[in-house]
Amino acid sequence: MFLTRSEYDRGVNTFSPEGRLFQVEYAMEAIKLGSTTVGITTPEGVILAVEKRVQSPLIESSSIEKIMEVDSHIGTAMSGLTADARTMVEHARVTSQMHNFTYDEKIGVESCTQAVCDLALRFGESVEDDDALMSRPFGVALLIAGIDEKGPQLYHTDPSGTFVRYDAKAIGSGSDAAQQSLQDAFHKQMTLVEAHSLALKVLKEVMEEKLDENNVQLAQVTPAKGFEILGETELKAVIETLAA
Amino acid sequence: MALYSQPPMSYTQEPTTAPVEHRFNPYSDNGGSILAIAGKDFSVIAGDTRQSEGYSIQTRYARKVWQLNDKAVLATNGFAADGTNFVKRVKQRLEWYEHAHHKPMGLKSIARMIQTMLYGKRFFPYYVYNILGGIEEDGTGAVYSFDPVGSYEREACRGAGAAQSLIQPFLDNQIYFKNQQPEAGSEKFVPGNLPLSTVLSLVVDSFTSATERHIEVGDGLEIYVVMQKGRSADDLLDEKKLAPGLKVEELGALGEGEGERTFLVRQSLKRD
Repeated sequence: MFLTRSEYDRGVNTFSPEGRLFQVEYAMEAIKLGSTTVGITTPEGVILAVEKRVQSPLIESSSIEKIMEVDSHIGTAMSGLTADARTMVEHARVTSQMHNFTYDEKIGVESCTQAVCDLALRFGESVEDDDALMSRPFGVALLIAGIDEKGPQLYHTDPSGTFVRYDAKAIGSGSDAAQQSLQDAFHKQMTLVEAHSLALKVLKEVMEEKLDENNVQLAQVTPAKGFEILGETELKAVIETLAA
Repeated sequence: MALYSQPPMSYTQEPTTAPVEHRFNPYSDNGGSILAIAGKDFSVIAGDTRQSEGYSIQTRYARKVWQLNDKAVLATNGFAADGTNFVKRVKQRLEWYEHAHHKPMGLKSIARMIQTMLYGKRFFPYYVYNILGGIEEDGTGAVYSFDPVGSYEREACRGAGAAQSLIQPFLDNQIYFKNQQPEAGSEKFVPGNLPLSTVLSLVVDSFTSATERHIEVGDGLEIYVVMQKGRSADDLLDEKKLAPGLKVEELGALGEGEGERTFLVRQSLKRD
C-alpha cells in the first residue's frame, strides 16, 4: 500500500494527484497506536476516561498525564503522541484566559475547540520570518469536554484540523470496538454515574491488562463543580460497581 | 562719529526673538453632553446633537449616541472624530465576535471589551468619555461609564461631557436620592427603581437646563430607550402620557431579535 505513495508523502504540504495530504493521514495513524480514550455526554455533565499504559511495574503511574484542565469549565483527554498535545493544550489555555480577560465571560466550548483546530494545520517548511513553525502535523487527537450556556458538550479534534461534536466518542488503539460498545449502550438520558461505569466498562473490554485504579483515569465536567479529575477513592468506587 | 553713535550689535544682547515652537495638536473638544440612567427593566441613554469648537457651531446635528446591537447603546463625548472612529471599531469587533462565537456579545462583555480597547491606546488615548447602556443578561437595565483610558464601573446613572458638572449633581439628587430624607415612617429610597415616565422627564429636564446654562449644549436631544424582552411599551407609545414635543420611533431589531426593543425619542432644544 505504501509503494504507491512514494513520491507524494515527503513534503508536508504537497497534495498527491488524488488530492490527499499523506503526512496528515500518517499523523492520523499515530493516533491509532495511542491508548484508548473515551468521552460521554450526559444531561448532568460530560465525562472523560483514559487508559494509562503502565509498561513497567517500576513506572510511577500517577506521572502519566493524559487528561488536562484547559479552563475551570473545560477539560481535555488525548490519544497519540501526547507530547504534541502539550502545545495544543497550552494554546487552548491561553485562548481561554484571553477570552475571559477581554470579554469578562467564559469561552464557549466550541470556540475553544476551534482555537485548537486553528493550530492543527499551522505546519510546513518554515519561512525565515515566522519563527518556530511546527514542522509536521500534530500526531494527537483530543476529546474536548466542557459546559457553557449551550450545556454539556464533547468535541473530537484530529490532526487534519477538523472537529466534530459527539454524544459519545472513543479514540486510540481500541477505538473501533469501544465506539461500537458506546453506540450500543449510550442513551440521551444517561446519568453521570451511569456514564462513569459505562466509560470504564468500555475501557475494560478493550484493555489488555486488568483494569484497576492505577491504569485508568477518570475526569468530569459538571455545572456545579466544573472540571475535576476523580481522586483514587472515587475511582475505586466506580471500579467496584463494575465488578458487581 | 555717527558711525559709533550706536554700539555694534555684538556689544549688546543677542537677537531677542526666542525660537517659536509649532506643534500639531491632535485633539479637539467638541462640547455637548451625554447621560444615561438604568431602570429595573429598561435603560435610557441620551445625548444632545450640537457639535462645536470654541465659540462656533460646526453642526446642529451630529450623532453622539449609537445603537450597537439589540441590547446595547453607546454614547460618546469629547473629541468627535475619536468618538465616531471608536464606535466604528467597536461595531467591527461586535461583528467579528458574532462570526467567531455564533451569538451577540452580552452587555458586560461589551463593557469589558471597551475597557481593553481604550487601554490598548493608553499612550495615545481616544479623547472620549463613553457611557454604555442596555439590558444585562439577567434582564436588568444597566449603565456602564468609562474614562478615556478604560477605567469603568456599572452604575445606576451617569452624566458626562461639557455639562457634566450641571447634570451629575441633579442626577445624584434625583436618582441616588442624595441629600434627601424619607418622610418619617415611609420606606427607604432604593436607587434604580424609578418608572420610565419619571426617568424620561428627568432626562429632558437635565438637557433643557444644561442648554440654558451651557453654550456648548443645545439644538437637539436624542434619547434611546432599551427595554427588556416582554416588557410593555405602553408607557412610551401612548401619546397622551408622553410630554409634548417628544417624538417616539421604534428601531427594528438589528440581529436575530431576541425580544429586547429599542426606541428613539427625539426632542428639539434651544438653538441659541
